[in-house]
This record gives sequence, C-alpha cells and structure tokens, in this order.
Amino acid sequence: MSGYLYEKDLVPQKYRILVSVRHDKLVREIASELEMPVQELRRYLIEHLDMILLENLPARAEAAGTKLSDNGEVATALGKEKYTLFIPILPVAAMDSIFRDVNERVRTGIPVAEAVAYGRAQIREALRR
Amino acid sequence: MTILQQIKNKVRARSIHVAYVDVGSCNGCDIEVLACLAPRYDIEQYGIFVHNNPREADVLLVIGAYTPGWEEKLAMVWEKIPPPKAAVAIGNCPISGCLFNRRESFVDPPVKKHIPIAAEVPGCPPRPTEILQAILLVRDAVFANWEGEHP
Amino acid sequence: MKRTVDVNIPLGPIHPCFKEPARLKCEAKGERIVGAEVELGYMKKGIERIMKGRPWQEVMFLAERVCGICSVIHNMVFIEAMEQISSIPVPPRAAYLRVIANELDRMQSHLLANFSYCYTIEHETLGMYLLDLREQVMDELERLTGARVTCAYMIPGGVRCDMPRHNAEILSGSLDRIERDLRRYSGMFADGPMIALRSRGVGILTKEAAQRAHAVGPTARASGITTDGRLIHPTYRQLGFVPLSRTDCDNYARVMVRFDEIIQSISLIRKCLQDLPKGVIRGGGVCKGGETRYSGEAPRGELTYFIKSDEYGRIVDIQIQTPSIMNIEACCHEMIIGADSIADVTATFVSADPCIACTER
Ligand code: SF4
Repeated sequence: MSGYLYEKDLVPQKYRILVSVRHDKLVREIASELEMPVQELRRYLIEHLDMILLENLPARAEAAGTKLSDNGEVATALGKEKYTLFIPILPVAAMDSIFRDVNERVRTGIPVAEAVAYGRAQIREALRR
Repeated sequence: MTILQQIKNKVRARSIHVAYVDVGSCNGCDIEVLACLAPRYDIEQYGIFVHNNPREADVLLVIGAYTPGWEEKLAMVWEKIPPPKAAVAIGNCPISGCLFNRRESFVDPPVKKHIPIAAEVPGCPPRPTEILQAILLVRDAVFANWEGEHP
Repeated sequence: MKRTVDVNIPLGPIHPCFKEPARLKCEAKGERIVGAEVELGYMKKGIERIMKGRPWQEVMFLAERVCGICSVIHNMVFIEAMEQISSIPVPPRAAYLRVIANELDRMQSHLLANFSYCYTIEHETLGMYLLDLREQVMDELERLTGARVTCAYMIPGGVRCDMPRHNAEILSGSLDRIERDLRRYSGMFADGPMIALRSRGVGILTKEAAQRAHAVGPTARASGITTDGRLIHPTYRQLGFVPLSRTDCDNYARVMVRFDEIIQSISLIRKCLQDLPKGVIRGGGVCKGGETRYSGEAPRGELTYFIKSDEYGRIVDIQIQTPSIMNIEACCHEMIIGADSIADVTATFVSADPCIACTER
C-alpha cells in the first residue's frame, strides 16, 4: 500500500468525471458491449487512465466511430482499434493475440458472432487481470 | 527609526515581487492580471515584478473560488512566502464565490477562511487598473512602514 | 495506460510558465521524455451541475464563465443552441454583429496564446509587443460590447446593443493599425533564427495522432487537418470563409497558424463592416423545450454543447465539450513524447494553448 506525500487520492475526482452525462452514457455503452458490470469497468478506467484521458473519452469514442475501418468485420466487431488506440484500455499486444485467437476460430468454421463473443470474454478476462 | 531602517523601508516598497495562484477561477481574472504586464499598464514601472515563484514573492494574488484540490496546498504556498507578505483577493470569486457558490458546486469560498487576506478587489473581472491600484495600496499599507512596525 | 516508473518529473500545479494549475507528470529517460500524464482537479467547479435546473437567463451568464478567455464564443454557442431548440430567427444585422464580436474575441485569444508561447521560450520583447496589441483589440471589444471580458453580448433573437456608424469607422481604422503591426510581429516570429531553433521540429503531432485524439482548432490545423466549425455556420458561409492549414505539425506551425488566423479574422471583420445590413438588432422570441447538439468554432477549436431544456426554457441536462480537452490530451499523450528536455515540454504544452478552466469546468 503506497501513501501520498503531496498529491491527494484522485479517485473521487475521477469518479466525478465518469458520472457526468456523456461519460456515463459512454461507459454504460462499453460495459454492455463487453457484458461486464458498469462499476467494474469504472474501477478499471479510474485505475488505469489519467484524468485528461477520462475527460476526452467521449470525443475519442466519436473519432473511433467516424473513422472508416478497413480491416474487416471481425476487427470492427471486436473493437480492435477502438479499445487499443482510441480508448486505450488494452495494450496492443494483448489485443493482437485475442484477435488472432478469434480469427483462428472463424477459420475453423465457428460462426462470426460466436467467435466475437468469445473474443469479448477474453477482453473481459484481460481487464480483470 | 534608524536611517538603515528607513532605507530598508524605501527599498522594500520599490521592489515588490508578485506571485499569483489560481484556485479555481474562470480564467477571466487570470488574464486581467496578465494584462497588467502589458506595456499599456506597465506594472514594472512601479517596481513590481510578476514572477510566479512563491519563494521570492511578497504579494500573493489569489484568484478563484477555492476548489477541493487546493485544500492544504494553498496554505502550503502561503507558508512558503517569506515575511513580510500580503495576500490580495482578485475578483468576486475569492470574496464570495461569485456565481459558482451555489448548491451542487464543489467550491468552498471565501478564501479568507483558509489564508489571511489583506485586500480584496471586487469585480467580475476587475479592470487591470484596479488590480494595479490594489497592489500599490497594499504596498503602501504593508511594506512601506514594515521596519517601523516590526522593530 | 498508467505505469509506475522510476524517474517521474512533476511539473506544476504552480509553475512559472503555466497560467493555470495543472499537474504534468513526465516520465523521463535521461533527459528525453518517454511519456506524460496529466492530473487535474485543481479547477473543478462543477459548473454543469450548477446549470441543471436553472432557467436559461441564468445559464447564459454561467456559460460565459466556463472560460474567461473565450467567453464570447461560449455565450454564442449557448444562445444559438437555445435558438435552434426554439426556432427563433436572428435578424441579419445581429448575425453580422455576432460575427464581429466573435472574431474580435478570437483575435485577442490568439494574441494571448502567442504571447504565452513567446514568454515561455523567453522571447519577452515579442511577447510584450503582442500583449500590447491585444490591449488594442480589447479596446475594440469593449467599444462594441461594453465590457472587456465577460460581456454577455448575445441574447436569444439578437444582440444586446447596436454599433453606431462612427464606431464602425473607428473599428476599421484600428483594424488597419493592428494589421500593420501584426504583419511586422509575425514576420519577426517567422524569420527569427533563435525562435526557429526553439520551435521548429519540436512537439510533432502527426496527422494520424491528431485524428485519434480528435484534436481540433489551430492544433489540428497545424497538423494538416482542415476542420473548422465556422464552415457550417450560416453567417460565415455568407462571408465566404475558407479555413487555413499548415502541414509542418510542430510548435512553429501552431503559432504561425494562429498568426494567420488573426489576419484572416481581420479580413472577415472588414467584410462584415462592408456589407453590414441595416435593420433591427433584436427580433425577440420565446425559449422552448427540446434537445440539441450544437457546435461552434472557439478560438481553440470546436466547442460543443449538448443541451436538453424543458418547456419553460429551463435547462434539464447539459454537457459541454470544450476544445481544450482534446487539445491537451493530444498534447500530453502525443506531442510531448520524445521531447528532448523539460524546457521543450513547457514550450510544447503552452503551444497547444491549454485552458484548464474549460477542461475541468
Ligand atoms: S470573478 Fe468573475 S471573471 Fe473573475 S474568475 Fe470569478 S467568475 Fe471569472
């Protein structure tokens, strides 16, 4: 357990950012997409992102939405770029391995929706770790 | 008062260093303080130097309505300033909280509660000339006769 | 992503170069910066929470005090959003006067930003010239609106006060003077060899990174993205507005874009004065209920208001997305990375024209 010398605990401040109207909507959206509890996602965001990035989340999500992705259906459904470059909650390497896994499954004949659901479960696992 | 003390008084009143600290304002007062630097108002002709370093400062300009992030820290800044020192509240925000002092907001005005304030300049925002005048008045009140009052 | 690192150089909250408190934590490897984090929380006033449940007459003044540097545009975007919700028409003369006020505001904001940059790279002479020029612009703003900073010039269905003929003449006279001085100063900046050493090639923000962070305003335009909220504004369309951009992506480009935009603003105001329509300045109207998203181009970039009001014109829900959020984010997570020293960090941070008051509201 580390203490603070100068800075205060920023969790309440970050929580205030995340519960304002637009941020709340976005967090709920991501949580329902990944099928994880909202509280858990919020905790993850608070622990891993700094304040300015939290403030900027809706704009970044918007940028991810408008950018025409050209790397296939699976990548878009999984949010390959969205969750690494635009909303950086996963390291690129972790996402790449999940993406490879999902692609492998699609190749062996499992329907895309099912494979993507599996991929999302993997993302969820990665976030919990 | 000895001659040496008189000289000290005179010199001290001609070299005031100013630091400003923004404790949650709308920026309106900030830029009016900055405008004092402009050649038109020319704060430096009175021997006032805006430096923004608390350890060298004599006058601290407090701007803004005191947000929770500044708890303890404003007092820390105030302690860093060597005496003689004075704090001046610029704008309505540190005086009353201006329009941020409502239900649901996070601010905790007035700043008077947290550090001693020597002078207040009301206005939303005050004009640069008013800020300048306040600093000059504080100079005359606090620094011009410091040696006589604190032998 | 947050990391625990061994060398972490904190800048702020009180720093001689920053006008406002922010805490920048730079991860350094030797002197080279490999990452940066910003922690805010020194300016959070909760203005959106105050706004909720209040009538528009009050929120109008609150909106202005989101940011004191660009108060005119906050006023304008809020009022135009309310007009859009309740379909209130604006008389043409008022629309033109709004543009004049807005462009004067942009000029003073850009001059202040460039002053800060020059001050940070220790070129005080040029900084003071620019600050003096800004006072002349402030005079014009005061003559038009009646106040220097928070002027509440626009109201639903028009503007507060008219511009008499002789004021227009004074304004165009001083515009000539300002333009002459400005060309000289921007020439000094463009050709200064020492300035180029401190600014060229420092703080690169590539086009892709700018798009990712959704950078806006001069910061994005210096990276070759021609986005400008004024392109979709009806009055600016009438004036034939074309956005500027540069492609060198560094501190120098950002400052030069601002210089160029000031000159562009001057020509926009001239055009407005030239064909200023005659007629009333207030049409009147009633604010109603509805929901909208409205954006305008603030000096720092695209400013968006998400407003929901009820039938009496009270604000039910509001969220403000200010340009500084995106720009500071782009600055701290993209531009600063790879800076060669801490001195470059402050210069780069200031070149993005950060405004913490709007970022935290
Ligand atoms: S007094 Fe007015 S202008 Fe000054 S910081 Fe407060 S709200 Fe802004």
